[in-house]
Amino acid sequence: MARANASRFRFNPPGWFLLLPAVLFLIAFFVLPLVDDGLRSIRADDGSLTLARYVAILSDRFYLGVIVETVALSSAVTVICVLIGYPVAYHLVRRAGCWSALIVFLLIAPLLTSIIMRTFGWQVLFARRGLINTLLVQDLGLLEQPLRILNTPGLAIAALVHVLVPFMVLSIAAVLQGIDQRLEEGAQVLGASRWRTFVEITLPLSLDGIGTGAILVFMIANGSFVTLALLGGGFQTLPLFIFQQFNTTRDFGMASTMSTVLLVIAMACLYLQLRLVRRQGI
Amino acid sequence: MTMLTRRRLLQTGAGAGLMLAGASRMAMGQARTLNVTAYGGVWETTIRSCFVAPFEAKTGAKATVSLGSPAQWLAQVEASPAKPPLDVLIMTPDLAITAAQADRMQDFTVEKIPNLAKIPRQFTDACLGKGTYFDYGVAGITYNKKTVPNPPKSFAEFVDRVAAGDFVASVPSITYAVTPIMLIWAMAQALGGSVENVDPFFDAMKKMKKNLLFWSGPNDFFNHLASGEADLGIYFDGRTWNHYDEGATWIDFVNPKEGGALAAVAIQIPKNADPLAFAYLNEVLDAQNQTRFAEVMNYAVTNEDVVYSAKLKPRITPWQQAAFPPYEKIAAVRNGWVDRWNREIGR
Amino acid sequence: MGGFLLSLFVVAFFAFMLAPIVVVVVISFTSAGYAAFPIPGWSLRWFYRIWEYPPFVDAMITSVQVAVLATVLSCVLAIPAALYLTRARSGWADGVTTFLLSPLSVPMIVIGFSSLFFLTWIGIGISFTALVITHTVACLPYVLRTVTAVHRAVPPAYEEAAAILGAGRWATFREVTLPLIRPGIAAGALFSFLTSFDNLPISFFFGSAQTNTLPVVMLSYIENQFDPSIAALSTLQLLLAVICLLAADRIYGIEKMTVAA
Repeated sequence: MARANASRFRFNPPGWFLLLPAVLFLIAFFVLPLVDDGLRSIRADDGSLTLARYVAILSDRFYLGVIVETVALSSAVTVICVLIGYPVAYHLVRRAGCWSALIVFLLIAPLLTSIIMRTFGWQVLFARRGLINTLLVQDLGLLEQPLRILNTPGLAIAALVHVLVPFMVLSIAAVLQGIDQRLEEGAQVLGASRWRTFVEITLPLSLDGIGTGAILVFMIANGSFVTLALLGGGFQTLPLFIFQQFNTTRDFGMASTMSTVLLVIAMACLYLQLRLVRRQGI
Repeated sequence: MTMLTRRRLLQTGAGAGLMLAGASRMAMGQARTLNVTAYGGVWETTIRSCFVAPFEAKTGAKATVSLGSPAQWLAQVEASPAKPPLDVLIMTPDLAITAAQADRMQDFTVEKIPNLAKIPRQFTDACLGKGTYFDYGVAGITYNKKTVPNPPKSFAEFVDRVAAGDFVASVPSITYAVTPIMLIWAMAQALGGSVENVDPFFDAMKKMKKNLLFWSGPNDFFNHLASGEADLGIYFDGRTWNHYDEGATWIDFVNPKEGGALAAVAIQIPKNADPLAFAYLNEVLDAQNQTRFAEVMNYAVTNEDVVYSAKLKPRITPWQQAAFPPYEKIAAVRNGWVDRWNREIGR
Repeated sequence: MGGFLLSLFVVAFFAFMLAPIVVVVVISFTSAGYAAFPIPGWSLRWFYRIWEYPPFVDAMITSVQVAVLATVLSCVLAIPAALYLTRARSGWADGVTTFLLSPLSVPMIVIGFSSLFFLTWIGIGISFTALVITHTVACLPYVLRTVTAVHRAVPPAYEEAAAILGAGRWATFREVTLPLIRPGIAAGALFSFLTSFDNLPISFFFGSAQTNTLPVVMLSYIENQFDPSIAALSTLQLLLAVICLLAADRIYGIEKMTVAA
């Protein structure tokens, strides 16, 4: 065994060699294009360098509000996903045995349905004369007036949770599976209640899953615009404005400026989250 | 040692030479294949049968059809201006102006495209001579006959009755690329404003606020109507007839008295494109080909010799009865409108 | 009692998840020429429409190819990095992790746009290769993150024991680490595949007659018509997903997916 080892690894690289492929790949195909694009944000129309666009955004109360709204919305969606996703993941792993094919399918079904049709589905359900309102007003007579649900912030958040919660559930489930169940059984044998076992053993051990899910959900929410563009709700976020720069105004300099600002904010949040996870984690 | 390096050098050189040869062969192969563009679905099939087929028959060349959207095609040409991946671009009038102003497109002349003589001068001028329109519709008022028995006949009436709560209206949101023209400019000038003064539009939006929905794409509008979320809205005539023909017979269209905004499809040829592109363009602007295109697509076409069928004729709003947007002037102030929309209307 | 409430919650959760999807699936079987609910009658005509419209079929094949390749490439690049980062104790490891996850925080439309210009500049241009590269950029973070999370729950003692017993790095990885981190890889690969398959903002900029993916063709298709074939495509995708998951279940078995077994 030792000899096989020696012959196979005559070249014995330090551990950080493992990082190289991923790091180099991202430098070549992510950092360089972004830097190239980022130059658009600091180049004035006459070719000289300028920070005017950054000043324009960061000194404008309107855009500062938009930045706050972006982070607030992503955070809210993340918290909701944790609250909804954890019990589901727990149920899947501990009660339903494990994530059987059917349950995984049910979870990812929203991600497999084109966004256009998903939006259409929401409209059919919640329109003024849609299924839910028809049921409540005509069939059951519970309401006088149809509820106004479409184009409300609530539905936009629900739709975001709908597509992002699978990331949360599967992230938590993957970690929950890794927890040795004998630890939980042991605690119960020693007289701990189910609830105490959960709070003192299971929950701390699965924090990494919550961390992963939270990071993924937060980041995706922070960078996505399609759901908000299609379902409205009145949110004004940076990704939505970036899309607008591409689609309506074709102001690529501004688009680049906004995405740099978004990137910096997101990276800061990400770094903080990672430190937090590491401190809380095992 | 020297030998080795030299041999290696030679190998590298040979490899590079082979690759170059391959590349130039590919370039030569491309010279006989024209890359044209289309929206997917019926649009594409109609483009193939009405324009690509006669082009291939006459020139013996082949044409591939790229499905996509104007913003995508323009970006692809901008990324590679010396060797554009596409030879003919379908464009929105706005983007056509942008591309022409950036000097990315070729001039259209009757020498290069004989059928251009049959296209109203205004359409080529609107693309600054670097392109023209080949079909058009009008953005007016589309409504559900079941819930709106007596539709508004003008923008002014539309605004008043929506503000009064007679019905819920669905108008394009600012994420839709043509909104500054079909809604902001069209409504502003109908209500007494102009390119320089769009206050009437923003005032009207404030009045209608409570009974207003926003659509982010054309299908979204249809969904709003079909699901009962809205009763009427600002939309295109051609699409309205398409929905009607597909079975949504409860839908109808009015061109507002002040004139809805012309909504044209522009066509352009990027610089350094295959010269065959002009032969293709001549087919696109041909009266016979355009007639067949119009009958399938329910949109008006631009060749003046085209005679529409009895079914299509009443559906077409001649461009003279639509409001012709001053695209160039609008392009200069559009970003300011969008910014104002973001701050005042907010979605 | 608590168990009952939990079950009830899970049922409500899945009702929420599936409600809009059910609407879409029903509409894909409509006999009407347009998408509206309730449907006037049942028919398979929109599935036939997909079959007879070649760009849909071609684009679906391209999408699957890109998604599979991007997922494989993401795993090859991200798993070694994840293994190292989990065990690294220093603060800069967090910095590297942040960097490797950062593609998640850039709107994909920006990745697509800047890559179009950059890749055209270096000669890769609008090609299948470009699609795989850019999709990998977007997918890599998922694998990295899920594998890290699961690997961190594995006590280092397992791997140390294997090493003490004389197993080489590769043998340790294959025999000890890989089986333990399999749920993380499975989750990451699944996220990665779905992200790539559903991606519009990146693929959009690399679309051409040869490289169009399904979302790009769908976007172009609905520009002028909105018929239930888009719903039928979604139903078809769901069907394919069921088949793939059932196949994976049959081949690998449920217990292989779990560590505890």
